[in-house]
Amino acid sequence: MYRIRFHGRGGQGMKTASRILGTALFLEGFEVQDAPRYGAERRGAPMFAYVRAHHKPINERGIISRPALVVVSDDSLLAMAAAGVTNGLTAATLLAVCTTRPSSFYDHHDDLKGQLILFRPPASVNGHSQLSSCCAGAAAALLGIISPANLAAAVARELDALPPERIRVNQQAAATVFRRLTENGAFVREGADQVRVKRPHWLTLALDSAALAAPAIHAAATTLRMDTGLWRSQRPEIDFDTCTCCGLCNIYCPDGAISLGDNGCPAIDYQHCKGCLICLNQCPTGAISARPEAAAHETDEVEA
Amino acid sequence: MKRTLLTGNGAAAWGARLACIDYLPAFPITPQTEIIETISSWIDQGLMACRMVSMDSEHSMITAAGAAAATGVRTFTATSSQGLLYGMEMLYAVAGWRVPLVLVNVSRALAAPVTLEPDHNDVLAARDSGFIQIHCATCQEVVDTMLLAYRLSEDKRLRLPVIVNLDGYYLSFTREPVTLPDPQLASRFVGPPTSRADQIQASHPTSLGIAVLGGSQYSYFRYEQHLAALAALEIYDDLGRDYGRLTGRSYSALACYRCHGADMVFVMIGSFATKGKDAVDQLRAMGLAVGLVRLRLVRPWPGVALATALADKKGVAVIDQNLSMGQGGILYQEVAAALYHRPDRPRVLCSYVGGLGGRDISLEDFRGMAEETLQAAASGRTPPPRLLYTEEDLAQMRAAQQVAAPDIDPGAETP
Amino acid sequence: MSSAPQKPSSQPLGHQLAAGTSTCAGCGALQGIRLVHDILDSKVFFVNAAGCMTLLSIYPFTPFAGAWLYTSMASAAAGGQGVRDALDIMLAGKRLPPQEDMQVVVLSGDGSAGGMGLSATSGAMDRNLDFIYLCYDNEGYGNTGYQLSAATPHGARTTTSTSGNPGYKKELFDIWTAHKPAYAATICGAEPGDLRKKVETLKGIKGPRLLLALSPCPTAWHFEPADTITLGKLAVACGLWPLKEYKEGRLVHTKVPKKTGRRPQVEEYLRLQGRYRHLFAPRRNDRVISEIQNRVDRYWEKVTDEG
Repeated sequence: MYRIRFHGRGGQGMKTASRILGTALFLEGFEVQDAPRYGAERRGAPMFAYVRAHHKPINERGIISRPALVVVSDDSLLAMAAAGVTNGLTAATLLAVCTTRPSSFYDHHDDLKGQLILFRPPASVNGHSQLSSCCAGAAAALLGIISPANLAAAVARELDALPPERIRVNQQAAATVFRRLTENGAFVREGADQVRVKRPHWLTLALDSAALAAPAIHAAATTLRMDTGLWRSQRPEIDFDTCTCCGLCNIYCPDGAISLGDNGCPAIDYQHCKGCLICLNQCPTGAISARPEAAAHETDEVEA
Repeated sequence: MKRTLLTGNGAAAWGARLACIDYLPAFPITPQTEIIETISSWIDQGLMACRMVSMDSEHSMITAAGAAAATGVRTFTATSSQGLLYGMEMLYAVAGWRVPLVLVNVSRALAAPVTLEPDHNDVLAARDSGFIQIHCATCQEVVDTMLLAYRLSEDKRLRLPVIVNLDGYYLSFTREPVTLPDPQLASRFVGPPTSRADQIQASHPTSLGIAVLGGSQYSYFRYEQHLAALAALEIYDDLGRDYGRLTGRSYSALACYRCHGADMVFVMIGSFATKGKDAVDQLRAMGLAVGLVRLRLVRPWPGVALATALADKKGVAVIDQNLSMGQGGILYQEVAAALYHRPDRPRVLCSYVGGLGGRDISLEDFRGMAEETLQAAASGRTPPPRLLYTEEDLAQMRAAQQVAAPDIDPGAETP
Repeated sequence: MSSAPQKPSSQPLGHQLAAGTSTCAGCGALQGIRLVHDILDSKVFFVNAAGCMTLLSIYPFTPFAGAWLYTSMASAAAGGQGVRDALDIMLAGKRLPPQEDMQVVVLSGDGSAGGMGLSATSGAMDRNLDFIYLCYDNEGYGNTGYQLSAATPHGARTTTSTSGNPGYKKELFDIWTAHKPAYAATICGAEPGDLRKKVETLKGIKGPRLLLALSPCPTAWHFEPADTITLGKLAVACGLWPLKEYKEGRLVHTKVPKKTGRRPQVEEYLRLQGRYRHLFAPRRNDRVISEIQNRVDRYWEKVTDEG
């Protein structure tokens, strides 16, 4: 059985990527299963989708814990433990990452198990990214069992609500990545059907106090422990030479991620800022600019 | 202690009064309405220090009740039938909040067809809601159970809401002598309303009724609710004994009647069980060795006590005043599950469904069930589940159908 | 430094609602709720109806420092009743020190507020319940992926009105004022000055009080999260979202947009949102666009006529 996981952020189209791949495999004659997995998080938050393909009916269900192939649409997810990109990776896993970084960037990522394969995101056309088609194309290439024709057909089927021109652009995006990665020569090996199963460590649950065992939180502001700053792809930065400390950004930030210090000037809480950039749009003096998070990261690392 | 004549609804209202309830969100429905009318008039006369509020629906009523209980006041509410079902979503929610609350349900059969008379399909629809469920057979038991219910519900180990069930008409509108506990004794037994520690207040942040992500956390909360409900079995019996020491009337999960030496035993819940006791006496006089077990607790389910009470009997007849369409009697399934693994289980377990929508279960019915069960025990062959319905019942129905559908021939083949 | 704009008067500095919630980036609803909470102060008991804000608290994480109770979609106002009554009972019985009292705020989306929650809300108004009803109006069932609700505006595309809503937005504000509540106001987080005045006003009033907040939703309305405030301001400026206040039985418009012809056309607002894209492409739908414009113009003509 082939087990593939797509990781991305809400809104990047990884559900669609999984469906394109699922359809392509189906067209190749495989038994297929594809499904997205959402948490409560929304657009910008990490999510994943998965695909199984087999020569016979698939009885396995639910999350794939030992993928043979993992495709990541957003390289910032690699550093985010909560995204679970590296869950269940072994040396045999192919880890395909959509990134604009040079491969040298990943040289010191020794903690990444599996064989790393990088591919570039497609150029956006009229503001549309084609990211899902591109990631599906990458997966199709690395599986080595999907024809270019069936990949194109699958893109058309899954995006049939789009105008023909955009379908064509998506097919091209998928084909480009497909060709590039096919040349790479790395192919996914089919996962074993038989797995080693151990007995679970069941316990006899005791009755806890009602106060503890109610679905209640007896503490304040515990969401501060959630690093929603990891959702961010663009980082707002304040130029204090231009900032008048008018405080509007503090008022307009939906997340309360901009506070005003004792001097009345704003400070951005990057642990929680989701990168919506309302502050940038609303700043009356244009004191806020945005930088891609990846670039900001690199600067941080250099400075550190 | 004062002995007086009270209806079941009056007894429920007295129970709430003696428990010194703080709060009553209310909504009328037959046959429950008299409870809230009674309490309303007591409040107006200054006899009760309780805030009553007329809600817009049972769904709202149960929400308000649960929210008030969560905030920290002793809360009571009451409904029936369609009302219980209309509020059903909130029964599950409030139980999940783990808050103490007592709700009286006056059993009434469910639409369609619409009727006002009782059976247990309404309250058994709440079987899996997480509410503890106590069934009463007499008006005396209603008032006593109200006090037990508050103690049980507010027990720190449990904090589970409780449904006290009484049958419409047969108890709700039926007067019988009731000994009212002395108010001081009652309020001592129940104790002061929920203590400070349970209150939600400005200085103690509390977020309640939270969402969870993932089945593992969800399972924990649900398992704990189940474990708390199971723990209520022992706590109820302890409370019932304590109450007995104070009032001379003790309570336990099962009420057994002439089971000793019985070859055959009826299993029932609710007020029809007193008719069952009468039938046991009559049948004993005829020489049939029969007895009766009545379950007071339906949730938690006193399965071990029940299996022990039924051990080594030749035959058991479960009388269900409810019907799960396409399956049969609900209690029958549960009794069977309690007995299956026991080597001392009765030889046969027979299922009878009757008393729907207030239809009587007559002495004749009891005789038929006893004899059929004993014959089955002798032969070792359990008869198929029987729906209690006589030739006379059908004749009356046919007469009505002559009016309702004169052109449809009852003998015609089903298409 | 360049010319400093006016500092918004006594703006909130602290944040009552902690960061780190799972709402979408650029959530207009959260932005409005945050402002209201900051102005109300910390002693608030939120009673939440099912909706996007259900997921503000996900075990074991909550953004609240006060109290929060999740109820159901239909009965949040009834939950507010239970909480208010319980607090009053305990205050009267000296079982709760006065400083532990809380303002009860029912938090609900437009789906609940104008649909299945109406009976419970109407009941709470009948009973003159002392509570604030804060409705974040994102004009559809947002938490389930944006389906048609009673508050979806005419022409807007949702996942269950894929060729545009043939119906019209239900007037929740009018339904409230028909009950003659103590207070009702429309607000928008993009108009913080107006919002602040209204929240300060309602703090001094007891009884049922509505805050109906237009809450632009980047996810459902299909616009860039950075444009949330821009859209809110535009909705007010073009006249689509009248800012008004009902108090002591009188209705006042708190911010009247410029006269017809001088204020932005609704088209400017519609064009920014994917949910109206079908009105402009592949062919322009003049009938619907001008109907939306005409309704806005008629509304403000009437307002001006009435003085």
